[in-house]
Amino acid sequence: MNGLRLIFITIILSAISTLNSIAQDIKVKGVIRDTTGGIPSVSIKVRGATTLTLSSDGFGRFEFNSKKEAQVDFQSVGFKTATINLANQSINSNNEIILDIFLEKIESEIEEVTVTGFGGTQKKASLVSAITTVNVKELKTASSNLTNALAGRVAGMIAFQSSGEPGLGTDNSTFYIRGLSTFGTGKQDPLILIDGIESSPTDMARLQPDDISDFSVLKDAAAASVYGARGANGVILINTKMGMDGAPKFNFRAENRLSSNTKNLKFADNITYMRMANEAALSRTPNGIEPYTQNKIFSTIDGDDPYLFPSNDWVSMLIKDYTNNQGYNLNISGGTPRGRYYIAGTFNRDNGVLNVEPINNFNSNIKLNNYSLRVNVDFSVTKSTTAIVRMYGQFDDYSGPIGGGARTFDNAMNANPVIFPAIYPASKLPFIEHPLFGSSQTRNTDLTIGSSMYMNPYAEMVKGYQAYKTSNLQPQIEIKQDLNGITEGLSARAMGYLRRYAYSSASRNYTPFYYESIINSQDGSYNLKALNDGSTNALLPTGTEYLGYDTPPSEVDSRIWLEGTINYSRIFAENHAVSGMLVSYISSFESVTGNNLLIETLPSRNAGISGRFTYGFKDRYLAEFNFGYNGSERFDSNHRWGIFPSFGIGYRVSEESFFEPLKSVISNFKIRGTYGLVGNDAIGNSRDRFFYLSNVNLNNGDYGSVFGRDDGAARYSRPGVSISRYANQNITWELSKQLNLGADISIANKLDLIVDVFQQKRSNILQPVSGIDNASGLMASPWSNYGRVNSKGLDLSLNYRKNFSQNFWMDARGTFTYATTEILKVDELPYSDNLSHLTRKGYSINQAWGYVAERLFIDNEEVANSPTQFGDLGLLAGDIKYRDITHDGIIDDDDKVAIGYPTEPEILFGFGSSFGFKNFDFGFFFQGAAQYSFFINSNQIQPFYNYTHPDTGIPGYQTGLLKVIADDYWSESNQDVYAMWPRLSTWRVGPNNQTSTWWMRNGGFLRLKSIDIGYNIKSLEKFKIKNARVYLSGSNLFLLSDFKLWDVEMRGNGLGYPLQSVYNLGIQINL
Amino acid sequence: MKIKEIKGNAKVGVSMVCVSFSMLFNSCSKFLDIVPDNVSVIEHAFKLRIEAEKYLFTCYSYLPENGDGWFNVGMMSGDEIWLPQNDQAHWHPAFRIAQGMQNKGRPYFNEWGGDLKGGDGRFNYLRIWQAIRHCNIFLETIQEENVAPDLNSFERQRWIGEVEFLKAYYHFYMLRMYGPIPIVDVNASESSEPEDLYYKRMPVDDVVNFISNLLDQAIEKLPERITDENTELGRITKPIALAIKSRVWQLAASPLFNGNTDYIDLVDKDGISLVSTTYDATKWEKARDAAKAAIDIAEANSVKLYTYTNDRYNLSTQTKTQLNIRNAVTERWGDEVVWGLSNSYFVNEALCMPPLARGSNVDRFQLQGVWAAPIKVAKQFYTKNGVPIEEDKTLDFSNYMSTRTAVTSERFYIEPGYVTARLNYDREPRFYASLGFDGGRWYMKDGVTGGSDENGMYVQAKNAERSGVGHFTNWNETGYFIKKLVHWESTTNSTNAPTWKAYPWPEIRLAELYLSYAEALNEVNGGSSEAIAYLDKVRERAGLAGVVSSWTNFSKSPSKFQSQDGLREIIQRERLNELAFEGQRFWDLRRWKLAAEYLNQDITGFTITSKTAAGYNVERNVFNQTFIAPRDYLWPIGNHEIRRNPLLVENPGW
Repeated sequence: MNGLRLIFITIILSAISTLNSIAQDIKVKGVIRDTTGGIPSVSIKVRGATTLTLSSDGFGRFEFNSKKEAQVDFQSVGFKTATINLANQSINSNNEIILDIFLEKIESEIEEVTVTGFGGTQKKASLVSAITTVNVKELKTASSNLTNALAGRVAGMIAFQSSGEPGLGTDNSTFYIRGLSTFGTGKQDPLILIDGIESSPTDMARLQPDDISDFSVLKDAAAASVYGARGANGVILINTKMGMDGAPKFNFRAENRLSSNTKNLKFADNITYMRMANEAALSRTPNGIEPYTQNKIFSTIDGDDPYLFPSNDWVSMLIKDYTNNQGYNLNISGGTPRGRYYIAGTFNRDNGVLNVEPINNFNSNIKLNNYSLRVNVDFSVTKSTTAIVRMYGQFDDYSGPIGGGARTFDNAMNANPVIFPAIYPASKLPFIEHPLFGSSQTRNTDLTIGSSMYMNPYAEMVKGYQAYKTSNLQPQIEIKQDLNGITEGLSARAMGYLRRYAYSSASRNYTPFYYESIINSQDGSYNLKALNDGSTNALLPTGTEYLGYDTPPSEVDSRIWLEGTINYSRIFAENHAVSGMLVSYISSFESVTGNNLLIETLPSRNAGISGRFTYGFKDRYLAEFNFGYNGSERFDSNHRWGIFPSFGIGYRVSEESFFEPLKSVISNFKIRGTYGLVGNDAIGNSRDRFFYLSNVNLNNGDYGSVFGRDDGAARYSRPGVSISRYANQNITWELSKQLNLGADISIANKLDLIVDVFQQKRSNILQPVSGIDNASGLMASPWSNYGRVNSKGLDLSLNYRKNFSQNFWMDARGTFTYATTEILKVDELPYSDNLSHLTRKGYSINQAWGYVAERLFIDNEEVANSPTQFGDLGLLAGDIKYRDITHDGIIDDDDKVAIGYPTEPEILFGFGSSFGFKNFDFGFFFQGAAQYSFFINSNQIQPFYNYTHPDTGIPGYQTGLLKVIADDYWSESNQDVYAMWPRLSTWRVGPNNQTSTWWMRNGGFLRLKSIDIGYNIKSLEKFKIKNARVYLSGSNLFLLSDFKLWDVEMRGNGLGYPLQSVYNLGIQINL
Repeated sequence: MKIKEIKGNAKVGVSMVCVSFSMLFNSCSKFLDIVPDNVSVIEHAFKLRIEAEKYLFTCYSYLPENGDGWFNVGMMSGDEIWLPQNDQAHWHPAFRIAQGMQNKGRPYFNEWGGDLKGGDGRFNYLRIWQAIRHCNIFLETIQEENVAPDLNSFERQRWIGEVEFLKAYYHFYMLRMYGPIPIVDVNASESSEPEDLYYKRMPVDDVVNFISNLLDQAIEKLPERITDENTELGRITKPIALAIKSRVWQLAASPLFNGNTDYIDLVDKDGISLVSTTYDATKWEKARDAAKAAIDIAEANSVKLYTYTNDRYNLSTQTKTQLNIRNAVTERWGDEVVWGLSNSYFVNEALCMPPLARGSNVDRFQLQGVWAAPIKVAKQFYTKNGVPIEEDKTLDFSNYMSTRTAVTSERFYIEPGYVTARLNYDREPRFYASLGFDGGRWYMKDGVTGGSDENGMYVQAKNAERSGVGHFTNWNETGYFIKKLVHWESTTNSTNAPTWKAYPWPEIRLAELYLSYAEALNEVNGGSSEAIAYLDKVRERAGLAGVVSSWTNFSKSPSKFQSQDGLREIIQRERLNELAFEGQRFWDLRRWKLAAEYLNQDITGFTITSKTAAGYNVERNVFNQTFIAPRDYLWPIGNHEIRRNPLLVENPGW
């Protein structure tokens, strides 16, 4: 490890030292401007004996040393290149040339290049496939998680965030390219490549926008087919920045982010809680017993002794209003003609919104520190050979409460608020050192004493903490060889990387001691009774004074990747642009995470050859052919290799001479189309990788038997045989045939419109064959590739930019994504006509099936005269009445129909604008989603339900009472058959908790996703600062939705860790 | 010219690329071969005897877990054991059948479907068809001498016999539930098209003959008794196979499948009648012969009716008689057990046993006592004179809810000085051995120090009393507890957690064979004296006089046993009493076609919410049970199965 570090330091130092040793003749400085002022990041190429490349700073300023004869090119995207011959310029007394360069806008981005994968790029103008390039500036949001910046900003991407908890992927947005287009258990999310390295969504989340140079999304077959078996769900390509020739440049950014819940759940007050709990106890068992006496209720109202009559607001006790997070990012770049470097370091701290209590010396709030170091170095080995070395290390240090932050929310919302206080004063039992947590023995519904204690969420939060650490190391080497010696335009490239990921965690906690108050009837004071001190008849678990620990299994995985590329690119006779690329790669991935099957320990391997060939005539007629030929270890050797071809054509109508008259209005008009095939080998789950093999367990204890007398001598037992998969040699790739038609239009050089419509036909989707008669006795359903889904949609992006004056500019942009699916074939029974409503064919893959809730039952007589619902004979007035779709007098599975929109949004959009006035800039962005439904998890919010936590086995939970339920529920005194909540109950009334229209909500929303205000501070030269910007930004500030209970983006998971509104104060300094 | 030159160079380049790629490619194919040899496949299961034995045990592993009320559909689905109307009642699959909630959407005990598609994991029904497939694989493979070559031919034949038995038994298990079922004698290949894997239901008579023949084949190969009891007790023997054969023919001969005109419309899609609608008397002869053969071989291998001997505690005769009855079921591998399920011990003693004299630990999770017998079952037991309570001319039970105080001479049945209902007095020993009730004595070895039966524990079941409602979340709905299934040596009388003496579930005991034989004899030869002789053996062990003397001396219809119909009634009631709470009544009532009569009666119990003797001893309606005939006689195959297999026909009424 130390050695490695040493080598890197050496590399960096040597790069820096070479930089200083080059002496030059003359100093050139100045500023590059357009009508609105200085243009940042203009590429400056000094063509001399050795070519020097650098770029302008944030205000368009530059400075370099050069020979006097040199020619200098000033290039920037969207501007015409200016070339200055230094020899023609005058030199001032300081031996300097002062330049004031004005760049003319070309107002269209046709000269821009787009990254297309495997180190390749293509001019945007000659592109025929659907590739969205994302403006990196737009990814700079107030969130420290890059995935949360994507929704609405990338045309063609469906993204949503469902939790705001800092952690390992917990606050990541889920995203799909052009929607979810397959079903089943295989891979559905896109391939993410960061500098060509296959990465996880969390890797992407941790990436800093400062370090990104290109971000593009490959959406159609022509773009993705070179990725063959991995590209079916789309590809996200991200490249990090490289250094450029020139003096070291420092770029420093510091942010402080204030984070708070976007929306808090509202709970009813504790008096209402007790009164309704009493009502619930009697609601279905008239001779039931009320859990709270009137005396207790009145004493609580009067605010008598808070330890005898506790009234806790757990949420405000456990959850803070806001938290503070910090982020720091520093990067240094520079170089010489022989070598360039880009070094970036990042430190982010994200805290949770949990309260820290001074009971312990450990902090049980969530604290996620994340460090990363990136070193990208490239150097010219020979005149024609460039080597690039990238080192990236990414480290997470996390500590948080046992079970995570969401558990604390869960506990706070599901704890009884009135039976026990959080903690008794230590003075009550002065000789005891441990905290005196409150609890009580649970009560059964008949008020008899149960065998466990009520869960005290306060004790659960402070009793310990868990910590995890991850490290991710990615050394990567890339060599580019110019092969102009063989033929002009030929080059080769080789790249290899190793990626090692490790995760380890530990939790430490004590078992709290709980106490119950015993009233002294003489004077109304109270004494404490230990509940779990280990004495006879004490409850379990017995408290401990010391910490125990637990170390969950660690995770380690490793990937090795090698690829070689040959590129050819040349223009013949001025008009014929020809290019070709051939790439071959092998990859091997191994993981030892929670393996319990032999096959899970085996490496996952891929190998393949891909190619891309393009031809363009006069930049006007464009054609492209791509293929991927891929092998996967998952399939039988006869089906192991798949070929995935695609082609595309484009026509730039605006380049035709007949278009000339229109050009002043429509400056660019291109139509294009692609069609091709992409595959997916990541079908089925990882335990089912080798479908061509059967999966037999010859030692399955569940299928064994025992014989013998069992008197003294041990009985004789042997395990048995089970089969969880039958071999099927024919299982192979999932296929995706994709058609994309698009148009790029620029109007008056101000408005750019890109429209793509697509159709995708997925076939060979792995599905069980469950139509087989059970009498055949198969132990597992055979699987086969027969599912089929069509999807189609539209992506649209719009950009507008206008300069009103030298000092005032604005731009506006918007995206719109629509994607919908239709099942053509899926594993289902052939339903007769009267049951055709059960057929999934023809519906979206995310369509939910459920019952049609008409209203609540008016009275018990109506219950008796209505169809039996799910065989439950105990329903009463105020329970949900469902529609008997089949008219057979019973409500059962057959009465389910497709209800609502699909459960994933079909429409995602975003729009925003930025303005600049002098040194101020201001921007905002709205984002929204439409056409989807979600279902409230009524089980989760049913008040007064006692349960044992299903994950931890901790008993004594009791669901809280949401205000919205307290305000609007069916009761004998409020017999509203459309009340929000049906008749109360202390147990779960199954029929009321079905997936039905009663709990269905529209998920559509519009939110102010971000807003930012910045100020550029100039004239800081005396501090040697080239540029500084202070800014204030915010995210998730405002939400419009029909659904008011919680943040609608969390959907059914309303009791989870809420999404966060972030207010961010930052400063960025360039040296 | 220029272009040509480029082409030349390109050729070099391309060929270089090709060479390098093809090298890569060859290694690629190997690169992708990552699965090592020796990954386990089904062939490994028969390599050696030690592996093949595991496959044999796999075939056994599908046997129903009848020692658990959660799985034994016969126990909880009828009218013999009732559960309280609390949460458990809502999700106990067997009990939901008892409550009339069987349905074809998601059938309870969906053994045909095996794995309920979309089920919630709590209802893991038996996968009987899988069991049969395993049996077929075993039988097809093990026949070859070179398979498991270290298996000697004697043992090989025995294993074949065992698996033939299991295959037959699994078919029988399905036959009893569904009536006509497919005969799966040969497996279809798993790679067949779904259409080739559709099975059709076969007529009951064909299925019965198939099972009977298969059992005959098995019987030849099976041992008469287990010699190595420490490792093999529970394996199939000749007496077991013959006893099952007797059950098969008894089912085939009984009214449900023998000339039942209710099923005239139960035909398959080709019009073939699936249940014979004409009565065939020879089936009863086969049932008689099968029962006799089973009894003979069992007795030849020293199976006999259990009696309590080697008394260490100086117990009273009354208590000993009760132990005769209780231990016939609960004694591990007792004298009477023909087939004990070594894979399914009785695990529900905590559900039968209420807290009696337990100390301060009030947690009723350990001693729930939730299994309750309806009053009609309590009434069904005889009087102490060995005749039904409604026939006894010397004892009047017309006001069976009237109360009196127990006297000292009754102390082995009822706590002296306790006030309880008329119904609990003057009953046969099986009543006291089978049921616990308010004031009823409940002898346990640890009830009194030294094991004496004097001043022992008794039930207090009124509201808020130790065993009563209001004292714990689970309660006994009727006031009658199932004493019979609690092992007398389990320890419950302390503040410690009870120690249960679990016992291999006695799937078949000799008394059943006697009663089956008597039944078949009477059907073949009405009023048979040999039938009465076998009844009397069972009655004698239960502490009762013979049928002839009991009826002659005490019954209002003293000559009842002389007619075929009268003796049939006596045999049926004897069977219900002797085999009470053992999961038999449910199947017997169906087989006799009496379920529509019995299961349309109300479930009643004492007024358990009362705290006084006067209030408690009032009959209270618990549930209005309904049985829809002929629908409920057979299981629904279920929508899922019917819809996917076009050859299947659903049972009538579903």
